[in-house]
Amino acid sequence: MTAAVGTAVAAPPPVRSSKSGPRGGPGWAAIALAPFVLFCLAVGAYPFARVLQMALTEVGITGTGFHFTWTGLSNLQTVLADAAAWQALGNTVVFIIGSVAGSLIAGLGAALLVDRAVMLLPLARNVMIWPAVIAPVVVSLIWLLILSPTAGGWNKVLATLGLPEQNWLNTGLGAMTSVIVVDIWHWSPVVFLFIYTALKGIGDEILEAARVDGASEGAILRRIVLPLLLPAIGTVALVRVVMGVKVFDEMYLLTSGGPNGATTMVSQRIQLWFFQDLQYGNAAAFSFVVIALTVALLVVAVLARRVRRAA
Amino acid sequence: MSGNTSTRRSNPAVEIALVIIMLIVIIPILWALLLAFLPNRAITSRSWDFPFWMGNFRAIFADGAFTAQLINSAGLVIGTVVLCLVIGALSGYALAKLSPPRWLTLPALVLAGIIPLIPPATLVPGLYVLLNNIGLLGTVPGLIIVNTLFNLPFAVLLMSSYFAALPDELRESALMDGAHELRAFWLVMLPLVRPGLAATGVFVGIMAWNEFLMGLTLTSGGVTAPVTVGIAGFLQQYAVTWGELAAAGSVAAVPMILLAIFANRQIVSGLTAGAVKG
Repeated sequence: MTAAVGTAVAAPPPVRSSKSGPRGGPGWAAIALAPFVLFCLAVGAYPFARVLQMALTEVGITGTGFHFTWTGLSNLQTVLADAAAWQALGNTVVFIIGSVAGSLIAGLGAALLVDRAVMLLPLARNVMIWPAVIAPVVVSLIWLLILSPTAGGWNKVLATLGLPEQNWLNTGLGAMTSVIVVDIWHWSPVVFLFIYTALKGIGDEILEAARVDGASEGAILRRIVLPLLLPAIGTVALVRVVMGVKVFDEMYLLTSGGPNGATTMVSQRIQLWFFQDLQYGNAAAFSFVVIALTVALLVVAVLARRVRRAA
Repeated sequence: MSGNTSTRRSNPAVEIALVIIMLIVIIPILWALLLAFLPNRAITSRSWDFPFWMGNFRAIFADGAFTAQLINSAGLVIGTVVLCLVIGALSGYALAKLSPPRWLTLPALVLAGIIPLIPPATLVPGLYVLLNNIGLLGTVPGLIIVNTLFNLPFAVLLMSSYFAALPDELRESALMDGAHELRAFWLVMLPLVRPGLAATGVFVGIMAWNEFLMGLTLTSGGVTAPVTVGIAGFLQQYAVTWGELAAAGSVAAVPMILLAIFANRQIVSGLTAGAVKG
């Protein structure tokens, strides 16, 4: 799970002025805020600068450590000419579209159901978040124990029913579909929680008024509930897109990015270039391509939201 | 929209649909737990015989590496949670209740906004060099630093939202009574955000326990790795021992599911932290 679940969309906390009180004042405020800023700069900004340096240089390793030779944008050119980079980008786009759409539908459906439940309400609310607390790599393993062609439980079921056994993880389409389904299983709980919280915030009076006016339950859902949920759906969709860009662990055991790179996402591409092929420059240059695309995507999302609000 | 629960009747179709959804959630988890207690040949056969067997657990704890990885992960969780709570409470308090100078607030908010958006894998090359330079590559303290970086923005913003909910008068009257700024924070304000500390701690703890990519890339594996990397290691060997894989996965997942059952409220407020204010 990523911490972005919470912070990606958190509005800046209210920074009110003239609150320094009778004593203390901005001195204490600076001292209390400094650890956060300094820690993030020291641990975050330095690696960021190093990645930039690697992206623009040829990196060699000698006995004394890394040394860098300036090569300008040639790493970027190499990466953009590499089919593996485009494959990883394309896979990530497909994965994000499938997993975000799937988890939005599943999470919305679950939230609407739980909201209408009486008997199972407390139990369902608890059980529904279990997948989200399990390590992605363990989720990957749990589903490998089901989908594996040799040891998976699903083939046990198929064999018992006399049906032909599946081999999905070894076909490109089957592997991508499996990875998307696993991601939906894993992260729909987050969508469920966001939408269920928003559902709780819809006043009973509005719904009662609609019922008194003779609106059917279907019409209430389409005309009143869904429009009121739209901001929450938009927010959680953005959170899920960011999670999709970052995804790495979930395919690590299930498909290891295979077959033939069919489920290799951008994060794994970086990891492979850096640690397996030792092409540090390529890994760093591709990191920047990914960061640039992520930022561009978020800017578009924020602008789209602003345009819609203005309209 | 379900305000007066008492007046609502139970709809059988809804309850049945929920049972199906809960089965979809639970069956994959139970299946892995079941396989953890089976010998390998029972797992790969197509029959439904389930001979109970403890050998997988004996095997994964036999050489001590998995135990070392569990200890590493426990250390990683404790270190990350402590660091995130200390800095998160201090800096969250500053953002919510003090008025830090703008030249410090602005970078703080920019960092808190950007760090969660950057895919961690893109920083791996740089983090590798950083830890290598300060001699913490492949160590638990190194992993604590890196995990804290990725969880701290969340911790600061969540703690800040809990502090912001407290009335300003509390701090002001403490200061009026002659309390030092530090005493007002420590004795008056901090005890009142205990639910926030619990939510932040539980959530950051889960994140640190579950983290995989940094453990994989910034340690050399074996006894230096966290438990998630250890689990993946059981698959890399030539003959896959499915039962051991399931057993190792269960050891990592069961404590988290118990947390989800008993600390449900803290986890929910962590997961939806952004939604409430967003």
